[in-house]
Amino acid sequence: MSALKIALTKGRTEQQVIPLLEASGVDCTAIRHKERRLIFNDLPDIHFILVKGPDVLTYLNRGAVDIGIVGSDILSEQNNQQYDMLDLGVGKCQFVLASTPEFDPNQIKRKIIATKYPNITQRYFQKIGEDVEIIKIEGSVELAPLVGLADAIVDIVETGTTLRENNLQVYARLQKVSTQLVVNQLALKQHQTAIATLIQRLSTAKQ
Amino acid sequence: MLNRNLPVGTRDEFGATAQIKERMINQIQRYFRERGYAKITTPLLEYKAVFSELDLKTYQPYQLLDEQGETLVLRPDLTLPVARVMSTTGIKTPVKWYYSGDVFRVKKKLSGSYNQIAQAGIELIGYKSLKAEWECLVAAVELAQALQITDLKVELGNAKFVPLVLAALPLNEIERRNLQTALYAKDLSRYTTLIKPLATSDFYPFLKVWPWLFGDFATVWQQLQLLPKIKAVTAICEELKETQIFLQQRFPQQQLTLDLSIASPQTYYTGMIFRGYCQSAADYLFSGGRYDQLLSSFQKTLQPAVGLAFSIDDLVARTITGKPVETTLIYFKTSDWRQAEALVRKIPNSSLCLADNLKEARRLAETAGSRLVDVTGKVVQA
Repeated sequence: MSALKIALTKGRTEQQVIPLLEASGVDCTAIRHKERRLIFNDLPDIHFILVKGPDVLTYLNRGAVDIGIVGSDILSEQNNQQYDMLDLGVGKCQFVLASTPEFDPNQIKRKIIATKYPNITQRYFQKIGEDVEIIKIEGSVELAPLVGLADAIVDIVETGTTLRENNLQVYARLQKVSTQLVVNQLALKQHQTAIATLIQRLSTAKQ
Repeated sequence: MLNRNLPVGTRDEFGATAQIKERMINQIQRYFRERGYAKITTPLLEYKAVFSELDLKTYQPYQLLDEQGETLVLRPDLTLPVARVMSTTGIKTPVKWYYSGDVFRVKKKLSGSYNQIAQAGIELIGYKSLKAEWECLVAAVELAQALQITDLKVELGNAKFVPLVLAALPLNEIERRNLQTALYAKDLSRYTTLIKPLATSDFYPFLKVWPWLFGDFATVWQQLQLLPKIKAVTAICEELKETQIFLQQRFPQQQLTLDLSIASPQTYYTGMIFRGYCQSAADYLFSGGRYDQLLSSFQKTLQPAVGLAFSIDDLVARTITGKPVETTLIYFKTSDWRQAEALVRKIPNSSLCLADNLKEARRLAETAGSRLVDVTGKVVQA
């Protein structure tokens, strides 16, 4: 049986998930001492690659990996079609609509919303029956209302510190976000026992 | 610069890939022709309305308008056009069609996916007997063997299983729909929460294992015993069991799996569904099933039908090993043309070297990475 291939979102997700993987019996020594390595295929039964969050589904959808570990923000934004099998209970945060204290959510106009997540933003405003103009921003979204590029932003908030530091406040709370274990639909058939065991162990470890 | 670029999601095919693909399609078509099937060809362009049965979010088509302003699409599916033919032409049933062709589905941009997908398959129309499903399965396994797929797994299921079990649960419509969504997405966290209120129900032991109700036939069968008796489900299970026994007798070495937890691969399937995959493939190699509601005849009576389609591109990708094929160029004088042609037929992967002199022939052979032989078959030294 070939090894199980996992794409792990590098950075904060990686740091939060490694203890869970270790508690599930997966040896993560190599990843802990990774230096500049991105591919870890020393173990016989489980291989890892470290990738950016938005790329996890690209690898997973093409069958280049069997499992992805990535935030639900990205799964939702990219309309994930693979099996979202387990909420790992880490990386918890929330989408919010935020802006400066002067912002009036009830003002009658077609609002301009800056975000890294245009699909999630569009779905939210569609749900509340409002049409908005969306501007896609790649990072530091909180700048947009401060310099007059947008009326408000839709972004992820963990503690709210960044918002407060930028004198922004929350006007609405949207969906919650956490790190998920996603499985390629065919890989689940090809590695049924190995994936079932991993999920079982991770479920126990997260409790 | 667009005159030198391909649109996103398309590709050219040449060399080994194109040859293997052509050979495979021919082999599949020949198999069905020899089995007594008739060929059907439908156009690439159809009205969008033909595909209203499909979830067009998953099968997003290329669209354009005709001169009357009607929406046309490049077909995203090959079964629905056959349904259109059957419901409008008065062709007498039963009938067994075989087809091959490309379908077009717009996928996520720049994701490495291709939007033009080659398929070859069959539609058996007017057959309500289980023998029609078995005919598809026999063809699928025999063709897989002929195409040298050694680790094929055949997966059986039934499109009605999940809806029938859900209907038997003491849930309201919304709860049922939520549970179905969580089950199909294998969202275990949500699924576990949703079944908690049913903890005292007779169904609970079954519900706990349901998302994992796939895999080796015997194991799934054993887990299925946890399900309280539902008459319509029993009939489905008997059909699956009979099919397993039939396939085991017909192909004793064939690995069989069962999946009773998935969404039907096509929304129009109404009965048994079957798919094939192997350990090394990134997608299913074939899929098919029964679709009794889709086709109505000229007289508006429903026609039972079963279909099967091979994913040619996935079969080809599995076959390309990356090993270069040894090729031979045959250098000859014009007077030896017939002899040279005879040699081409004798030496695999050889072709005529159309060079005027030996120096040029050597250069062509070196460029192509081929060995060079003369009309006697003797290797010409560089």
